[in-house]
Amino acid sequence: MVTIAFKDLALTNAAKKGMPLERICFTPHPIWGKSEAEMYAYLEGNDPVRGIPLMKEVVDALTKPLTDDEKKTGVTTPSVGPPTYVDTADNLQKYYMDNGMTDFMPIILPTQEKVDAMLKGSSHHPDEVVGQLTPARGAFPAWQFTVKQVAINAVMAGAEPEYLPIILAIAASELPSLSSSTNSFATAAIINGPIRDKLNMNYGIGAMGPFNQVNASVGRAWTLLSKNLGNCGLPGETYLGTQGNVVEFNNLIIVENEKDSPWTPFHVQKGFKPDENVVSVFFGYGISQGQGGKGSAIKPVPQFDQGLLYNFTPLTSIFGAVAVLDPLVAKDLVELGYETKEKLSEWLQKNATLTVRDARTMLFTGGAALRGPQAAGLKDDDLIPRWPSTALINVVVVGGQTNPYYQVANMSYSKSVSIDKWM
Amino acid sequence: MKINRRTLLSLLGVAPTALISSAAGSEQLKNKKKIAEAAGPTKIETLNPRGIPPAITLVPLAPRLASIEGKTIYLVSDGFPGADTFLNQISIWFKKNMPSVATVFRLKAGGFADDDPKLWAEIKDKGNAVIMAIGH
Repeated sequence: MVTIAFKDLALTNAAKKGMPLERICFTPHPIWGKSEAEMYAYLEGNDPVRGIPLMKEVVDALTKPLTDDEKKTGVTTPSVGPPTYVDTADNLQKYYMDNGMTDFMPIILPTQEKVDAMLKGSSHHPDEVVGQLTPARGAFPAWQFTVKQVAINAVMAGAEPEYLPIILAIAASELPSLSSSTNSFATAAIINGPIRDKLNMNYGIGAMGPFNQVNASVGRAWTLLSKNLGNCGLPGETYLGTQGNVVEFNNLIIVENEKDSPWTPFHVQKGFKPDENVVSVFFGYGISQGQGGKGSAIKPVPQFDQGLLYNFTPLTSIFGAVAVLDPLVAKDLVELGYETKEKLSEWLQKNATLTVRDARTMLFTGGAALRGPQAAGLKDDDLIPRWPSTALINVVVVGGQTNPYYQVANMSYSKSVSIDKWM
Repeated sequence: MKINRRTLLSLLGVAPTALISSAAGSEQLKNKKKIAEAAGPTKIETLNPRGIPPAITLVPLAPRLASIEGKTIYLVSDGFPGADTFLNQISIWFKKNMPSVATVFRLKAGGFADDDPKLWAEIKDKGNAVIMAIGH
């Protein structure tokens, strides 16, 4: 039984799992939050999709003999359409958009010539399988994709061949930028290594804004390849984000300002050498500004640690936290005694606490501290950590030093992938 | 004052030969445009950006019961909030309307999409049918 809001998702998923005629009954939406009396009323009413008495439908679903179609076995291969399309440029733009293959902005049409040029950006064979993508592991079948298919999406995004290894590395992370969840999740990628300067990526003024072709097209490619290579982002079917997330257009591409940072670059923290080119991907709710945090106005050195703690307040515990700091903020934090990112993360983890009373009223916050045998003795005024481990709090330095500002993201580190491997 | 044409053109920054060329060029351009329009808009070929979906193995539905009277139906929640309460209402409905039907509530193990072979084995052994609440 499924609520009507998920009708398309339920029917499509059943078909993808090999049961296109699975007997599914629908209820009004939602179930969650309704009283027992309201739920019972659903049962006494009609299936809102078929308009027939719900419980009669349920009994029929369990007892009516199977049709020949419901007994079928065998293997089918879903079609994704022809390998090429032929039409005028204007018609092709409309075709790609109408068929869910774009982000609803004009694309660079992927002709064979453009894709061949893009493929020169990597030494890997066009038919090499890069990985697989799915809108949600376990809930949707995973699609495979090749180097060439990534290149096609890279062309569409407006990338140049030299950017292809970064896009391939992001694709190889197998983290789609469009999750199916009702939460409207977002993704981020931190880029480290000499490739940043080689390609003139932006890690200065406006680094996370629309001011650089590499930053912009790499982020856009992630959205396009998630839609096309993983079948993500089909509203009502593989995308149920109730409000959507503006980050999903281009994703959060953070090119770390290693030059002006007083600390170890992110990829080195993860065990890579400084001269390796690496992309590290994150997943969570997104990012928000940090101006206005407590302690930020204190002179001569603003108490940015207190400010970060303050700005962590609305973050959930199901994802970690990322402190995204302008180099000026990082340097001030060093003056406050945080000689390393790790020292800052430790302090933040230890001090980012909340009362049991508050945690019990909040969705997705408090986490493991509120479950299990250790939770039995907790009192309302006891303080529990937002995050059980320092590893859940990450720090990255980016920005052009026009002012000591920062942002905070409620996102968890997923993995780091070598860009060099895809050159 | 009579102005020499060449002088006038040079004041305008235009060489006479350039004017002659642009006049001829403009005519050529018009002709090219006419030919192109007659041929129709240019078509190009572009590539399909989609990935490779997995093959689907069709799974036949489980045989149906002749009747659920006197049978045991497992009511399974996948853990979505509210599903357990809703399934309890189904149990109450059966008690009121089809009292010979026995219901057994179970919460599937793991996350929403995780498999639970232990539960399926129990249902196969002790139950006759399943109603599963998927959400939301």
